[in-house]
Amino acid sequence: MSFGAMPVWQALLLIAGAAAAAVWLFRMKIRPPRVHVPSLLLWRRVFDQVRELTWWERIRRAVSLAATVALAIALALAVTRPGPRLTAASRGRTLIVLDSSWSMLAESGGGTRWERAVRQARALAASSGGEEVALATTADGLVEGPTSDLALIETAIDRLAPSGGEGAPWPRVAGTDSVHFFTDGAVDTAAAPGVIVHSVYEAVPNVAITAFAARAATSGISSGEAFLEIVNYAARPQDVRVSLIRGTVTLFDQPVPIAAGEAVRQFVPLQMSGGARLVARVRAPDNALAIDDEAVAWMPGVDPLAVTVVADAPGPLADLLQRDPAIRASFVKPADYKPGREDVVIFDRTIPAQAPARPALFIAPPAAGWLGTPASEEKAPRWLEPDAHPVLAGVDPLTIDVRRARGYDGQGLVPIARSERGTPLVSVIDARDRRAVILGFAIGDSNLATAPAFPVIVGNAIEWLGRPSYGMLRRPGPVELPGSTSALTAPDGTPVSLSHAGDRVVARLTQPGLYQVDAGGSRGVIGVNVGDPAVSNLMRTSLPNEGRRPAGGGGGSGRPWWMYAVGFAFVLAAVEWWTWQRRITV
Amino acid sequence: MALRFEDDFLKKLEYLHVVSKRAFAGQNRADRLARKRGRGMEFADHRQYSAGDDFRHIDWKAYQRLNRLLLRLFDEEQDLPIYLFLDASRSMVEPAKFDQARRIVAALCYIGLAHLDRVTILPFGSGLRDETMPGRGKGRIFRVFEMLERMETQGDTDLREAFKQFASRTRQTGLAVVVSDFLDPRGFEPGLKILASMGHDVFVVHVASPSDRDPGSLGEVRFVDAETGELRDVDVTPALADAYGAAWQRHSEELEHFCGRYNLGYLRADADAPFEQVILSTFRKGRFLA
Repeated sequence: MSFGAMPVWQALLLIAGAAAAAVWLFRMKIRPPRVHVPSLLLWRRVFDQVRELTWWERIRRAVSLAATVALAIALALAVTRPGPRLTAASRGRTLIVLDSSWSMLAESGGGTRWERAVRQARALAASSGGEEVALATTADGLVEGPTSDLALIETAIDRLAPSGGEGAPWPRVAGTDSVHFFTDGAVDTAAAPGVIVHSVYEAVPNVAITAFAARAATSGISSGEAFLEIVNYAARPQDVRVSLIRGTVTLFDQPVPIAAGEAVRQFVPLQMSGGARLVARVRAPDNALAIDDEAVAWMPGVDPLAVTVVADAPGPLADLLQRDPAIRASFVKPADYKPGREDVVIFDRTIPAQAPARPALFIAPPAAGWLGTPASEEKAPRWLEPDAHPVLAGVDPLTIDVRRARGYDGQGLVPIARSERGTPLVSVIDARDRRAVILGFAIGDSNLATAPAFPVIVGNAIEWLGRPSYGMLRRPGPVELPGSTSALTAPDGTPVSLSHAGDRVVARLTQPGLYQVDAGGSRGVIGVNVGDPAVSNLMRTSLPNEGRRPAGGGGGSGRPWWMYAVGFAFVLAAVEWWTWQRRITV
Repeated sequence: MALRFEDDFLKKLEYLHVVSKRAFAGQNRADRLARKRGRGMEFADHRQYSAGDDFRHIDWKAYQRLNRLLLRLFDEEQDLPIYLFLDASRSMVEPAKFDQARRIVAALCYIGLAHLDRVTILPFGSGLRDETMPGRGKGRIFRVFEMLERMETQGDTDLREAFKQFASRTRQTGLAVVVSDFLDPRGFEPGLKILASMGHDVFVVHVASPSDRDPGSLGEVRFVDAETGELRDVDVTPALADAYGAAWQRHSEELEHFCGRYNLGYLRADADAPFEQVILSTFRKGRFLA
C-alpha cells in the first residue's frame, strides 16, 4: 500500500490516530447538562429493568463505535489516498521516470497530476531500501542517479517541473532492475518494454487554445490575419471568454459559447499597423489546465524594414525600394557609409573593407579579402535550375539574361544558383557572425531591372536577411534552428543554451512564449504555445483501461477512491445522526 | 410564593367540611359531633338513670309513660384535631409542586379553622420540624399563610422517622392529612403504617408534578438527586422515559393500593391541575371534603 498524499509511515500513523481518536471520543464522557430530579428512587428501578436489555445496549454501542471508527478511517483514507503498493518489484537498481508533458499540470482533486506523480515517486524512492535509484523525466532524460542517496533524489525531484518534451527518447540507465513510469498517458510515450506504469490520470474538463498564428494576408500587403482555434474538452457546453490582445490593445474580449467537444476556429483580420505581439487568452468555468489558456503569436512584417542602399547610383533599386511600404529605404554613397542599426544593407557594386555586422545583400561586389577569392568572369552564363532556397523562391531564372557574371569562392559562401559552367550566380552566407546574399552579376550587366524576377529576388533576399522565418507555430520541446543561430532568448529574458549538431543548432524550449533568435545580425521571433489536442484533451489517456485507475486509488467511474471515502464518511455520519436522533444508536 | 386566596374562594371553602370517617373526641366545643355524649343540642339516646347523673337530663315525660327514670343523652359537638403533614423535603423543591402542596395545606387549614377545629401543621423531611398550631378561628389563617410562605424545602424524605416522632408525643386522635410526593427512598409504607396504627383517620394527598410523571426524552443528561446530591449520567431515550413513566405510575398505584388496604383516604393532586379544581372538585369527589 502506498499513499498519494504522504509517506507511508505518516499515512499509517494518521489512520491509526484517527481510529484511536474516534474510539477515545466515543468513550469520552462528555459532561452532560445537569438535570435536578426530586429523587433517583424511581429512576433506579427503571435502570434495574433496563439492565435486562444490556445485550441489546451492547450491540447498539458496538455498532455505534464501529460506525464512528469507520467514519474516522474513511476520512483518514480520504486524506491519505491509499493506492496499490508502490515499492520496487524486485531488489536492485530502480529507475523512476516522470512524465513531464504539460498535461501533467492538470488540476484535479486538490492537486495536479504532476504533484501526485511526484508524491508517488517520493514514496517509491523511500521504499528502495538502500538500493540505487535513478530519476529521469521524459523531457530531460536522466536527471539524477543512479544513487543510493535518497537526499539527492529528493533534491532532484524538487527541481523538476513539467516542460513538454514530447518525442524525446526514452531514458535508459544501464543495469536497471525495475523501471517505474508515472504518467497520465496524455502523450503516448514509447516506453521500454517491462516498464511498470503508474497512472495519475483523472478525467478532467479543459478549455484550450490549440492553434494560434498570425500572418500577413495573402490578399494584400497592408493587412494581416490571426488564426485562433479554441476547443472545449468538457462534457458540457461552456461559455468561454476569449480575449485577443495586440501589443497593449485589446482587440476583443467576449464570451463564446462552445459545445462539449466542439472546436471553434476563427480568423481575425488585423491591420498592419499596431504591435507585432499578439496574445490570446481563454477563461472558462471547467478548465483544469492553465498553461494552454494563453497563446502568443508574432505578426511578421508589421514594422517596415530599414534598408540602407550603398551605391553610387542605386537606379532601379531606388525605384523598387521606395515603392515598397514594407521597406524604409535610405541611400548613401559608398564613401559616406557608416555601419548603423539598419536591418539590411545593400551594397551595389561596392563592398566595405570589413565584413558588415548587419545582414547584407551584395550586388556584383568587387574583390574583398574577407569575402573570398573572386573567380574568373563568365560571359553570358546560362542558369541552371536553382536550389530550393527562400531567396530564390518564385524566381524564374529563364527570364533573367546575364551578360557577365563573377562568382566568389570563400569560406562560408554557399552557392544557391550556378551557371552551366559552375560559376556561382547567387550565393549566401549563413553564419553566426554574418548573413549575406551575393549576386554574382550587376543589375546593369543583366536584364534584371526589367525582368519579373527582379522584385522577387530582391524582396526574398531582404526578407531572408532581415526577417528570418523560423516557422509559424512551435511546441515546447527540442527545436532545430539554422546553424547561423548565435543566441536564443527565452520569453523571460534568459538565454537558452544552444547545442551545435553539424550545420544545425539544437535547443530545448521549456516554456511557452515568444523566443528571440539572433542569427548573423538578424533577429527573428519564434512563437511557442502549449495548446495541442494531445496535451489539452484531459478527458483522454493512452493508458489501457486498467491503467486509467489512478495510483492514488480510483473507482469505476474514474473518480479517485478518496472521493468515495469522503462520500462514505458523509453517509455514515448521516446514518449515525439519523439513528442517534431516533435513539437507535447511542 | 404569595399564599393568598381570593375572597370568593375563601367563602367557598367556608362551606366545606373536612370529612372524617370516624368521630373523634375533641377538647373544645365546636360544630362537629363528638362520640362523647354530653352537652350538645342534638338528642342522641336514653339510658337508665343512675346515682350521680345530672337530674336535669331526666326525661320526665318518659317517666310518666314508663314509670322509669330515663336520662336523655345528647351528642356533644366538639372540635376535631386535624394534623396536616406537609412534606418539606428537597424532593418537593420543584416550585409548582411545593406551591400546590402548600396551597392544599393552607386551604385545609382554613376549612378547619373556619369550623373551629384544632389544626396542627407539621412540616416534615427527614424528621418532624417545628409544628404550628395556629389556634382557632378563621382569622388565624393569615399567620398560616405567612408561615407557609417562609417555609423552605430541605433535607431528605423519611416518613417513618417523621411519624415516629409524631407518635412519640401523646396526641388526641384525629384526622391526619399527609401531603407529599411520597418519594421516600425507604418506602412510604412503614411511615404510613405507623400513622394508621395510631388510630388517626389518615388521608394521603399525593402531589406530583408533570416532570415527575413524564420526564420526556431529555437525551444525555446528568441527573442530580435533589435530596442526596447523587449524580447519575443517563441517556434518557424515549424508551427509557416511557419506562420511567410506567415506574412512576406503578409507584402511584402502589400508594393507592396501600391506602385502600389500610383504609386510608387517597387523593392525587397534580401540580399542574388548577388548584380550585383540586379543592372544590377532586377533594369533594374523594369524599375528603363535603
